[in-house]
Amino acid sequence: MKMSILSILGLALAGLTFHAEAQVSAKTAKTPFVTTGPITLPLHFDHYYTYEQVGEALKALHAAYPKLTTLESVGKSEEGRDIWAMTVNNPATGAPSTKPGVYVDGNIHGNEIQAGEVCLGLLNRLLTLYGQNEQITKLVDRNVYYVVPVVNVDGRFHFLADASTSSSQRSIRIPVDDDRDGLLDEDGPDDLDGDGNICRLRRKDPFGVWKTDPEDPRLMVRIKPGEVGEWTLLGDEGIDNDGDGKINEDAEGYVDGNRNWGFNWMPPYVQSGAGAYPFQAKGLKALATFLVERPNILVVYAFHNNGGMFLRGPSTKLGEPMNARDVAVYDVLGKHAEKIVPGYRYLVSWKDLYATNGDFVDFTDNVVASYGFVGELFQSESESYRAPAKPGAAAPPPPAEGGFMGRNPDQERERILFNDKVVQGDLYRPWKPFKHPQLGEIEIGGWVKMSSRLPHPFMLNDLVYRNVSAVLFAASQTPEIKLEVLSVEKAGPELHRIRVRLSNPNAIPSMTHTAVQHQIHPKDTLKVEGTGLKVVAGGPIAMNPLEEITYKPHKPEIQFLQVPGYGKVEYSFLVSGKGKAHITYQSLKAGRAAVSAELK
Amino acid sequence: MKTFHRWAQPLLLASLGLVAAETPLAFDRYHTPQEIQAAMKTLAAAHPGRTALHLIAKSPGGGEITVLEIGPDIGRKARQAPAVLVVANLEGVLPLTSEGALFLAQAILKDPSKSQHLTWYILPTTNPDAAWRYFRQPLGSSERNAQPWNEDMDDRVDEDGPEDLDGNGVITGMRVKDPAGEWIVAEGDKRLLRKANPVKGEKGMFKLYPEALDKDSDGQYGEDPAGGVNPAINFPHLWKPFTATGGRWAGSTPETFGILQFVAAHPEIAMSFSFDATNLCLQPPAGGRQGTFDPNAIRIPEDTAKRFGADPTRTYSMKEIMDMARPMAPPGMEMTEAMVASFLGLGAIVNPLEADLKHYKELSDKFKEFLKASKLDGKRLEPAQPKDGSFSLWSYYHLGIPTFSMDLWTLPEVKDEKEKSRITAEGLEAMTSETFLALGEPKITAFLKEVGAPETIKASFLMEGVKAGRMNPKQMAGMLKSLPKPPAQEPLTVDPRAKALLAWSDKELQAKGFAEWKAFKHPQLGEVEIGGAMPYADTTPPPAMIKPLLEGQVPWVFTLAAKLPRLKILKSEVKAKGSGVYALDLWVENTGYLPVPTAMGRKNLPVPPAILLLGGKGVEFLQGRSRTPINAVEGGSSVKLQWLVRVSPGSNLDAKLESPTAWGDAATINFAMGESK
Repeated sequence: MKMSILSILGLALAGLTFHAEAQVSAKTAKTPFVTTGPITLPLHFDHYYTYEQVGEALKALHAAYPKLTTLESVGKSEEGRDIWAMTVNNPATGAPSTKPGVYVDGNIHGNEIQAGEVCLGLLNRLLTLYGQNEQITKLVDRNVYYVVPVVNVDGRFHFLADASTSSSQRSIRIPVDDDRDGLLDEDGPDDLDGDGNICRLRRKDPFGVWKTDPEDPRLMVRIKPGEVGEWTLLGDEGIDNDGDGKINEDAEGYVDGNRNWGFNWMPPYVQSGAGAYPFQAKGLKALATFLVERPNILVVYAFHNNGGMFLRGPSTKLGEPMNARDVAVYDVLGKHAEKIVPGYRYLVSWKDLYATNGDFVDFTDNVVASYGFVGELFQSESESYRAPAKPGAAAPPPPAEGGFMGRNPDQERERILFNDKVVQGDLYRPWKPFKHPQLGEIEIGGWVKMSSRLPHPFMLNDLVYRNVSAVLFAASQTPEIKLEVLSVEKAGPELHRIRVRLSNPNAIPSMTHTAVQHQIHPKDTLKVEGTGLKVVAGGPIAMNPLEEITYKPHKPEIQFLQVPGYGKVEYSFLVSGKGKAHITYQSLKAGRAAVSAELK
Repeated sequence: MKTFHRWAQPLLLASLGLVAAETPLAFDRYHTPQEIQAAMKTLAAAHPGRTALHLIAKSPGGGEITVLEIGPDIGRKARQAPAVLVVANLEGVLPLTSEGALFLAQAILKDPSKSQHLTWYILPTTNPDAAWRYFRQPLGSSERNAQPWNEDMDDRVDEDGPEDLDGNGVITGMRVKDPAGEWIVAEGDKRLLRKANPVKGEKGMFKLYPEALDKDSDGQYGEDPAGGVNPAINFPHLWKPFTATGGRWAGSTPETFGILQFVAAHPEIAMSFSFDATNLCLQPPAGGRQGTFDPNAIRIPEDTAKRFGADPTRTYSMKEIMDMARPMAPPGMEMTEAMVASFLGLGAIVNPLEADLKHYKELSDKFKEFLKASKLDGKRLEPAQPKDGSFSLWSYYHLGIPTFSMDLWTLPEVKDEKEKSRITAEGLEAMTSETFLALGEPKITAFLKEVGAPETIKASFLMEGVKAGRMNPKQMAGMLKSLPKPPAQEPLTVDPRAKALLAWSDKELQAKGFAEWKAFKHPQLGEVEIGGAMPYADTTPPPAMIKPLLEGQVPWVFTLAAKLPRLKILKSEVKAKGSGVYALDLWVENTGYLPVPTAMGRKNLPVPPAILLLGGKGVEFLQGRSRTPINAVEGGSSVKLQWLVRVSPGSNLDAKLESPTAWGDAATINFAMGESK
């Protein structure tokens, strides 16, 4: 996940609270916003899908569109659940490996579940509108899509099945001794009131630093110096399970699915949540193999929550900056995405948010060699309760300070009114007294599991729809290479000069500039061959056509190249002999093209 | 040339798996990976109660990476004993190191006391694909495993590797007369080449190539050999992306990943050895890397500093930062150094910590005495330091355990014509003014040149300064360290290793360690000469030397293993406070030489803590808890734990000390008398 929290400290601290886990309570309360009805096509997004239902939805899509889809398990998770991948490819237009690959996944953090719905939404749109909508049909015909809706399958399962905060169940299920007492995962949160949510605890305390918000008795604000306090906050709902005087200090994990990838991996003392070694998480290792076996992948979208961001790499400032020519490509994709999804911002991962090591998109950028985005879904600002701004009104005042966890108290007040008036109290539990076995008389209350980072189901479809469109825009920009013979001239007896052009009308080049820079994989090839023909010389024609051609000194019949985005490259070949010259372009990621020329 | 620098029996023995159960290995020849696997099976079969074999990975070429476990915990679910991990030949080009690991295994099994209270995990073969090359025709050397890799990024994979063009059974090099060549014949020995020095008006004569054709007609010779990854540089610490043989990510190759996985599943591993090209027993791990993380001088970025109330223009120690950060943690959350380091983006520690170096230096001095006693203390070439991405760096920096290595053999040093100063900046630091002056001007001049001091700094000037008391050697060392490093210059002299090899070859190998340059008609390059150093000649001594080398060095492993930390309950004191309330003080002692964990282990916390469990009927803890983690104890010292408990007078409490890496202990504490045990 990447999260939107105003204060930098808040980021650091919030990153640490995501450990929380609920002990599975004997009677698991029914999770709201999840239906139990049968899966029907087209899929609809007015509710959330459980892990099992995601599998059923994929099976339903595959049953309805068997020719266009393959469904496979990438591998199994720590708890033995299948990580499903669906491939959408039209075999009539070629095998998957011959097309630019668009890889989309979500929910690598167990609690960030709407990412799974966005992935299902993409599959739903591609398949149900294929042959109905001209643009979608083209996007299916010329690309292949690899979609893994839920990466952290255990996390999604537990988030929906167990009591939880909106931020817990994030981890891969690898136990870690967070409190270093020799016991593993022995003190997670507990659903004390049995409502299926892990809320907050507070205690009446005149020496506390919080007081009841005068504007709304359910909220609290920090006291000003000299004021008498009213409340002390005691953290998440739970008890001291291991008797060490601390509550919830060793919850499940924590190995972060998005800190355990092999590229730029750093150990846990450098990167919290890194895991003991790269790819300790076996599902991630299986997914890495899946990706490496599909080198045609050129676009990657990984969905998380929240904050409303499209993030590109690099994820760490310690490595190299992004290749400047690739930045130009990202800018096209990112700036369009910002407009497709209003309010979302296109940002650089380490610089605009925070640095991470062992990040998924760093891996795909540098190993798979693709253009990768993290989509941070949902903005809490969208939970609005507000009159339209009057024309000519003064700019809104700067955000107030003093809210809980560095939040803006004004926004909290608005959100709680949204909770009251728009969703009839679905998202917030009023404070209620509770007799805590260790802390005595306290209160439990606050935002519930399905709040704060997830859209209310009535807003889910809009979120899914627009973010799928951001992916489709990127897919529309994968290279569409055109190979043409510009001219065939006689250059002497038995000698011809052939000029060839490769052009691409879209933003994304035939391979990333990073891949060219670091030789991550071989470049595209342009070959000229034919019976009785010999290529005497061959090389690229410079931008300035009057410049001399730099002929390749060895094997001129095969040229190695990249076709840029929104552009072209041209080659000139001197060929001796007579007959048909077969000119073939072959790319790892941008497919194949062939033309021929008659040399008389 | 029909003789090879290679000592191996025909492969028949191996294919039949004929390693007799009763006959101990004689170490009079080198064993193939297959023979080593068979030998491990034989050893395991001969000692069923004390051994187990764990297959942890298969190499891309199908070779097995097997751990031979020897120890007291075979088949036990809960492990009692700490373990020593021994890996060998990750580079795959050092057959002697695999023999070393086998020798160690045999020595452990011969003496049951060696594994009575200590587990050994031994991996004699870790890069079988490369290790096989020593036993194959033609003889060639490469660290690459069998993972195909397109080095020249063309349209074919592994299509243009070196080969035996002249049919002598060995792959060496080629020199070709070429006006654009950089190399000339070296003075003193016609066989050797050195770079021409254009400043002196010298003109190059030869170009050097591997013994190869240009099979893909791209103008390059032998540039896309078979295979891909060198597991020895595929470990996570300081792993470098986009290198020729380092792999696509840290742990990308199965040999390395198998080791990462195995070690994580075995928290009892308390010490590691690597038999490879380095020697951390002799030469402590080197520092001086440019790093981003110095735990004693951390700069806080401006925006963060504001929130911490810190000064962004100065540096802080980690402790100071923790004191600032702790109060800012929300309720119910404990802030750790790792979290803060991660948040501040401090990066990895890249230099060994002083407290650990102290132990390395002390042990290195003892090792030198040990070598002397083994009569293996002759002047030898300096060992290499562990490479970035190596097993040893990972083991020390990430696992935080004592990490040692041995190269077992290297070429004897050849006396240089020009006297070297034999002074290092570190040596200078420890010198008294008198010792310094006693070195004499020529030595000091040579030293200044070696460290790249500017020519304006003259030996005479420094000596006068010291005489006059204006400076001392320590200040000088500091000054020299702060000098910018001179730009790395291409050596214009002969590689000392090449020279040492020739001397060794002439003296001990009947000159067979070097293939004389011989004319050859190359189908693409025309007239060339094929020759050069024989593969393995500089790393792999004749078979007769294997046994004495191993006997003289490998037992040092036992000496070091005996230095492991060992935690014991030293004593306890009970003081009655009245009404059944007692103060209990208990001391946990580390009776070993090494600390638990290393200073690095304390920084990055990978080592599980020791736990003191206190339990008994009707005890109530007023201060302290029944479960007390102990994070660190220095070697030869103790830590004091304190409780205030209420028990019924006359009862006992059981104290149990558990540690995966430092054994454990138990004691009964009696509250009858109000006296100590």
